[in-house]
Amino acid sequence: MPPRRQDDIMDVDSDESDASLDYDEPRRKGKGKAPKKKDKRKSKVTEVPYAWEASYVRSWDTVQEDESGSLQTAVDDLIARGRRKRLFAPSKAIRRTIIRHLIIILDLSNSMMDRDMRPTRFDLSLEYTREFVNEWFDQNPLGQIGIVGMRAGVGERVGEMSGNPPDVLRAISERHKLEPTGDPSLQNAIEMAKSTMSHLPTHSSREILIIFGSLTTCDPGNIHETLESCIRDKIRISVVALAAEMKICRELCDKTGGQFGVAMNEGHFKDLLFELIPPPAQHSTSALTSRLASGAPANAPGSAGGDLMLMGFPTRLPDTSPPSLCVCHSEMRSQGFLCPRCSAKVCDIPTDCDVCGLMIVSSPHLARSYHHLFPVKAYRPVMTMEETANSSPTCHACAAMDTGADGISPLGRYRCTDCSNDFCTECDVFVHDVLHCCPGCER
Amino acid sequence: MPAVEELSAKDVGAHPLLVFLQSQPKRALSRLYQRPSSCLCIFRLLGPLERQIVMNVLWLDASIPASTMSSWVVREGKKQYDQALIELSRIDVLVNSATELTLSATFKASLRQAITGGGSTGSFGVPLSGDSEHPTPTIATLDTYALEKWESILHYMVSSGTGLPSTKPSAGVEFLLERSGLMAKARETSSQITSSGFQFLLHTPHDQLWALLLQYLEMSEERKTDIVEVISFLFMLSTMELGKEYSVDTLTKAQEHMLSDLRDYGLVWQRKATPQRFSPTRLATTLTSSLPPLPTATGTGGAGSDSKGEGFIILETNYRIYAYTDNPLQTAVLNLFVTLKSRFPNLVVGSITRDSVKRALMNGITADQIISYLTTHAHPQMRKNKPLIPVTVQDQIRLWELEKNRVKSDEGYLYTSFASLADYEYVLKHGRELGVILWESAAKRCFFTSVEGHASIRLFIERLGQNQQNNRS
Amino acid sequence: MDRSSHLSVILDLCPTQWLLSAQPSNPHPLSFDTFLSHLLVFLNSHIAYKHENSLAIFGALPGKSLLFYSSEEAGDPSTAEVVQPDPNSYRFFKTVDQSLVRRISREFDILGQPDTEEPCALVGALTKAICYINRLLHPAQSLSSPEDSANLPDPRILILSVSPDASNSYIPIMNSIFSAQKLKITIDVCKTFGPDSVFLQQAAYLTGGSYIYLEHREALLQYLVMSFLPTPSIRKIITVPTEDKTDFRAACFCHKHVVDVGYVCSVCLSIFCQPVPVCSTCRTKFPMKTLQRLNMTRASSLTGTGASQPSASRPTNGTPAKQVYTGLAANLR
Repeated sequence: MPPRRQDDIMDVDSDESDASLDYDEPRRKGKGKAPKKKDKRKSKVTEVPYAWEASYVRSWDTVQEDESGSLQTAVDDLIARGRRKRLFAPSKAIRRTIIRHLIIILDLSNSMMDRDMRPTRFDLSLEYTREFVNEWFDQNPLGQIGIVGMRAGVGERVGEMSGNPPDVLRAISERHKLEPTGDPSLQNAIEMAKSTMSHLPTHSSREILIIFGSLTTCDPGNIHETLESCIRDKIRISVVALAAEMKICRELCDKTGGQFGVAMNEGHFKDLLFELIPPPAQHSTSALTSRLASGAPANAPGSAGGDLMLMGFPTRLPDTSPPSLCVCHSEMRSQGFLCPRCSAKVCDIPTDCDVCGLMIVSSPHLARSYHHLFPVKAYRPVMTMEETANSSPTCHACAAMDTGADGISPLGRYRCTDCSNDFCTECDVFVHDVLHCCPGCER
Repeated sequence: MPAVEELSAKDVGAHPLLVFLQSQPKRALSRLYQRPSSCLCIFRLLGPLERQIVMNVLWLDASIPASTMSSWVVREGKKQYDQALIELSRIDVLVNSATELTLSATFKASLRQAITGGGSTGSFGVPLSGDSEHPTPTIATLDTYALEKWESILHYMVSSGTGLPSTKPSAGVEFLLERSGLMAKARETSSQITSSGFQFLLHTPHDQLWALLLQYLEMSEERKTDIVEVISFLFMLSTMELGKEYSVDTLTKAQEHMLSDLRDYGLVWQRKATPQRFSPTRLATTLTSSLPPLPTATGTGGAGSDSKGEGFIILETNYRIYAYTDNPLQTAVLNLFVTLKSRFPNLVVGSITRDSVKRALMNGITADQIISYLTTHAHPQMRKNKPLIPVTVQDQIRLWELEKNRVKSDEGYLYTSFASLADYEYVLKHGRELGVILWESAAKRCFFTSVEGHASIRLFIERLGQNQQNNRS
Repeated sequence: MDRSSHLSVILDLCPTQWLLSAQPSNPHPLSFDTFLSHLLVFLNSHIAYKHENSLAIFGALPGKSLLFYSSEEAGDPSTAEVVQPDPNSYRFFKTVDQSLVRRISREFDILGQPDTEEPCALVGALTKAICYINRLLHPAQSLSSPEDSANLPDPRILILSVSPDASNSYIPIMNSIFSAQKLKITIDVCKTFGPDSVFLQQAAYLTGGSYIYLEHREALLQYLVMSFLPTPSIRKIITVPTEDKTDFRAACFCHKHVVDVGYVCSVCLSIFCQPVPVCSTCRTKFPMKTLQRLNMTRASSLTGTGASQPSASRPTNGTPAKQVYTGLAANLR
């Protein structure tokens, strides 16, 4: 596939961070598919070595000393680069899919025992998947995750769809049960994931994330038919490949609107995974269908947009209430939540009631998703001394004195465009990444 | 509940001063509690749970039933809570009563006053503002002064062992060191460091300071100085502000006398020998806190940042040790258990060898003390390792210690020549029940008991003999 | 265990509410002066607790929020208030007391007599307190000491609130709560006057703090000392009162009914008590099919037992949760 086209597609999602492009481009060069670009990309290639190219790890190569021999500038630069990524993020509210359903397909084939990523591809994927799951639930409290393994030519259900992080983590906690063998089968695994999600309502997203270490797939039928049906069911497939690009993987992602990436080294692997954590922007229906003109027949109009969902707000039983059996674990407990429709008692929310299937949430769960809908506007770096003439000498949020220059603002000051208060570097990052609320505007 | 366990493990030892106060008569304590500053400091020396208990009842006018308070305590914490109450009543902060919780009236009144301010006790010291003739000393001056004084004491101790020349501290300090058993008179003129002195050197400065001050308290007790005045003066110092000057006018005779001693220890700075004003140093103002009492001890750390006791030692698995320091005291302390190889302006290189460790062990330093010294002074770079000290080195130091302890000595009594095996076994069984048997040999029909067991075993045998006689007759 | 702790106190300084609070017609009138004197004793107790304990005081005034005092600033001679030394009081206590009282009176002087009073900037104060703690927990450019977590203080925030919930602060307060959870900050709330605050109840519940509604207001100090002075580790031994009846049910946007089962817009998460064709908040049109299906189920359940009737059939105090979502709705528009 010519690289040019891929760029077009990547641009469609407005919330795409351009840092992922930085990584993608040298990788294509590495494949030797775009020899014309070779010299242009040279500098970047040396910057980020492939895991299999590096004979030994030279950690000191990643940071460079400045003239005076200090590492400070290099570190500042790294921080600044992280900031830049965010500054390009859109500041206006966009529609995002809040209710997400994700199936993680883990490659458990022989090729995962390769040691080009340390300790092995398999161990590293398990470790990163665990981190991924934690972070994912933190940002998508109303979502659910299921886990499917690809091993010995079949798909294997490793963990049921669940909205409870400990349940999901438990499924992948026992390493010996997941010991890799045989060849992977993309088709079998995707079919299995698809059937798990077939009953889901249209307003929630259906996503598949494949962590793929192999270069082959061993399928019983035509995988393109599976792909067609995924497009029909609006399942978004993303692949993180650990070995090299495969045409079918690229196609799976491109046609379903997912992201595709080949991990160059451990750090990049993690970056690729974690890029999939924030809720995806919702495609407007027209854009999606026009792009996939060759794909499935047009979807029912409007169904990709909003929908009305039935949700139950449970009654919380206090710790002091008499113990009773819960429907999820069949254990005697005093704490719990009562389903408002069928009065079944569940231990954790959010979840779907085991008895009547009602989605049970509490108001804080809904609130946790709001920051995706109303992000804080990016602050503007203050560049000159004149601008600080009539503003307070300290950070408006944490009252710190001037922090000094960093990679972007020579004064280490960032100004909110709405309330015109100045913030220090630390608070700028904190407000946008964690707090999601400007201390000056109070919104 | 792991946190609770942690608490009980750590709080077993109350602060040494509190232990000292427990031994004081009630009248003395009550006089001590009349000063708000003393109450505040004692409050701070208490354990966290004890502090909360005091706070809970501090603002109540009437006493509250003990059951009301204990109903707030969770079951797991009951033991600690009871222990805390006992600790408090031992130093007479809490009135000893099974049914009611009340603070002793004096303590309550003074602590209230300390927190709200006011009154006219002047227990926090009368500050003076510096004038042009006598400018107030800067904090840096005070820090260098304290450091110099304190390190000279320690240095004196270290070098006395090695025979290197060093400046002799004042007679008062020397006497105190001898009194506390850290040094001993070897010959007429010079004194020699003792094994407890070596152990002392490896403690944290905070512990060292308190150890010496407690010794000072005991000494003043013997000198018939009013102990209350001594303690309250120490407390007053600890609530003062660093970098301020205070007037001596309000001090009592005994306290003025103390000034010269404390000046020798580096706790107080004075311009002249008999001035009208004095300044506490960092050693004094951090007495009741866990902040480092000394400014960064390494002379190289000139960055001006008050980094909290940055470590300087790097230890490798091959027993080599690199100490980034130019401080003679630290070098000398290291020299206690390290064979030093080379010295550079800011670096000392050496290695831990069997000989060097054995020498330290001979001096009475234990393996654990060496390891804990290495741990607390480890270079930040070393702190990335897990475990911090290489296991090989740790184990080897312990093995060397065991090597030394192949022969274990116990004082006790040997029992031999039992008339019959039955007698022997009968007595032995009794001894075992008491848990005093250290060694036994059925073949030789003898056993060895500890000193504590001797009296009861002898009594037992005597009674046995009488019984037998009675039976016979 | 015996670690130093950091306390950030947020004072709600809404003049109207304090005026109401001081009125003698109340069962237990509490004037601001009395409150302040109790508070100062409490603050001093916190400092007395341990030498290293740090303190920051934030004020929420009408339309603005600011930092009144921080231990850090007091330690720095260039910015600290000049305090006349006094042989009868501990210097740190004196510094806190004086600078707090001075700055509060200065702010009250500026305040004057506006015709319409702006709502108190509680959110501003709360977010500032969190940013401040964030800076304490992550000292900038700390490359040398990576995991020195033992030296970091246990952070807590105590909110002394008198104003009722401001409806448009729901989202920012919830966001603050979640960041507090992330930083492991305990938020304690003492409601000294006015109606119960649902937002703050949730804040205390979600961060493991305690929410106390002050009933015997003359005993303010005792409440403060017993419930808010102990650090989290002490609270494991001596328990402090916590709220166990925090209500997490929601109220619908359309009629403000407290609902058990609601209809939620998948785009903006607005809640409705009955199926509506268009979301009133984000103008999303819902598909006909869903509406029909939902109406069917709703009809059947209404004619059925009636037990799961979505609106207002439960005996609850609807007032608190209502405000939650009026705020939400206002903000979404």
